Amino acid sequence: MTSRAQAPAPIAVIGLGNVLLGDDGCGPFVIEQLRAAWQLPATVELIDAGTPGLDLVTYLDGREVVIFIDAVVAAGSPGDVRIYGGDDLRGLPAKPRGSPHDPAVQEALDIVALAGRGPRQVLLVGIIAETLALGAGLSPVVYAATERAVGCVVEALRQCGAPPLPRQAAPLAVPWWLRAACASRPHG
Amino acid sequence: MARITVDPITRIEGHLRIDAVVDGGEVQKAWASCSMWRGIETILLGRDPREAWLFTQRFCGVCTTVHAIASVRAVEDALGMQIPLNAQYIRNLILIAHALHDHIVHFYHLSALDWVDVTTIPKADAAKASSVGESLSEWPGNSRHEMERVQKSVAGLLESGQLGIFANGYWGHPAMKLIPEVNLLAVAHYLQALDFQRKANQVVGILGGKTPHIQNLAVGGVMNAINFNSLATFNMDRLYMLKDLLGEVVPFVQQVYFPDACAIAGFYPEWFEIGAGVKNYLTVPDLPTDPASTAFDIPGGTIFDGNLADVRRISSGRDEYFRKGVVEDVTHGWYQGRGAQHPWQGETVPNYTDFQDDGKYSWVKAPRFEGKPMQVGPLSNVLVAYALEHELTRKWTDLALARVSAIAQRPITVNHLHSTMGRYLARAIRAAVLSELAVRHWELLATNITGGDVETFRAPDFPKGAIEGVGFHEAPRGTLSHWVVIKEGVLANYQAVVPTTWNASPRDQNDVPGPYEAALLKNPIADPEKPLEILRTVHSFDPCMACACHTLDLQGTPIATVKVL
Repeated sequence: MTSRAQAPAPIAVIGLGNVLLGDDGCGPFVIEQLRAAWQLPATVELIDAGTPGLDLVTYLDGREVVIFIDAVVAAGSPGDVRIYGGDDLRGLPAKPRGSPHDPAVQEALDIVALAGRGPRQVLLVGIIAETLALGAGLSPVVYAATERAVGCVVEALRQCGAPPLPRQAAPLAVPWWLRAACASRPHG
Repeated sequence: MARITVDPITRIEGHLRIDAVVDGGEVQKAWASCSMWRGIETILLGRDPREAWLFTQRFCGVCTTVHAIASVRAVEDALGMQIPLNAQYIRNLILIAHALHDHIVHFYHLSALDWVDVTTIPKADAAKASSVGESLSEWPGNSRHEMERVQKSVAGLLESGQLGIFANGYWGHPAMKLIPEVNLLAVAHYLQALDFQRKANQVVGILGGKTPHIQNLAVGGVMNAINFNSLATFNMDRLYMLKDLLGEVVPFVQQVYFPDACAIAGFYPEWFEIGAGVKNYLTVPDLPTDPASTAFDIPGGTIFDGNLADVRRISSGRDEYFRKGVVEDVTHGWYQGRGAQHPWQGETVPNYTDFQDDGKYSWVKAPRFEGKPMQVGPLSNVLVAYALEHELTRKWTDLALARVSAIAQRPITVNHLHSTMGRYLARAIRAAVLSELAVRHWELLATNITGGDVETFRAPDFPKGAIEGVGFHEAPRGTLSHWVVIKEGVLANYQAVVPTTWNASPRDQNDVPGPYEAALLKNPIADPEKPLEILRTVHSFDPCMACACHTLDLQGTPIATVKVL
């Protein structure tokens, strides 16, 4: 969500996951790569949503198209990139509400749908994770997969009539969580 | 006798598991366990203390802001820093808006369906639902037209058989007692609440730069540049945008959330007799109003054994009563060793053993204050503030008790608040108090800036050698504290004692149970296959266990079980 109180952009690209837990951070990492290398139309908003649980509702409300990027558990090898449609997400079984984290993607989609403000199109670009162990960084195989995931998002945006333009000589983003720990005092 | 295990099992572990032994229709013994290692603080060791808050706000996806604030406060405490007034007010407005957002979501979207049976809604008389709503408050969203509209969409969903968000409720359960009209009114507000939690979140976004994960903090203040002549900075436009948003959120809290919580409490008065558990309460002062953080708009303190007359104040972050009082016990946690340690000396060395009823059974450590388990959260906050005669808390508590008593047609007093329903009601009381303070802190900020003070940041200076600090925050789920040790300007130890650690604490070395475990004792269980009553009591604490991980499971395997042995 941008800092101004205005109507949300019709297309949201939402990276999900915890950047401190290995490959779970692939969603936010793809968002940073998109931000660094592509110029997006004003109709598109990029969101690193972290692990919002039910707070995801806030970012779905009033959108026409939502594209998620997240680590997934699915048949296949680590680093495989899979694309799922809204029906795949809605087919997931419901589970008891335990904590604010439990209601996840499908429940947030159901709530905005009941309010009559849900997206008409939902897409998930999923990357099969190798490790979800504590640590800020992706495994090499998932790191390589993020480039393909960026390509999938770019293609999906083209098909939605919101084509991104590549930036010239785009730098590779190094987000804060991938910077090394300091070896000595921060102040000399 | 039956043993119930409520255990949402995902491939990624990290959830609350409750085990309860049920006999004679009530819970006889209970265990609270977290199935995920919370050693996430270790990622901070060796890092620059000035950037710790960026990492800590990724501890938890829901309570991002609170971990950021506690972190900068901890480092500032270690440095003995004062911060500019504008920084205090801006942080306070962020904290209040976040809390209002969180309390609204808890009441409507996370816990209302424990009390509201949506399947009765098609039977409701929409005109009667509208008049019930109008009898509770002057809120304009209770019209007959609105009730008919909501009734139609809920009925459509129920007829479709694709229940969506309503698929996992215990519908028709004997403990569901509201009439169809009240259920309809509650679901109408459930949908309206979506707008207002979003507006509260926009306040956080305007001040914090974005949500989730605010970007405006710094050790030493905030990074908001204030210049009324610049379009790019915090200016008059932004200031009044905040006022407009608060002008919408505050009436929703006072005219919808607060009356609804009173109504639900009034219709379920028996829940004021259930779920007290640990009657020791801890809360920390918050919303500092001076650069040194010695004066606060919400008081802190402790109450033991439910005795409000013996309340003891925690005056500030420098108060030794708090700084020395906290320990964490690992006797029943999956960590090496036995006994208790102060957070500055705390270690987090895992030692997983499997679930042992009388041994180690949780990844949560057992925090203790003066050796005792403590309940934290809005109820602690309201009881301590009430006992200390905090004016706003008295006003809203007395109003709530009068309304609940009128609906229940029996006297409900402060003493009834030691209960499952007391926790729900206290959350609404606290939200109402905070809604008034939101307006006050907006005025404090506006007055200070228009008076010419635009300072927002003072650069920190790290000394040689080792320093220690604690930063606390009275978060939506209760007392949060971050404890840091900094050596030669680098983080040498970092321990976060989070609210759910206090409440979901396992037993300690003296076998004294934690607040969840104690609160579940004597809970009635009408149907062990559908332990709705356990959910009501656990949800009353607003648990937040899985401060970590999120991965979608697309294999179609069951992702949760409720098991009765």
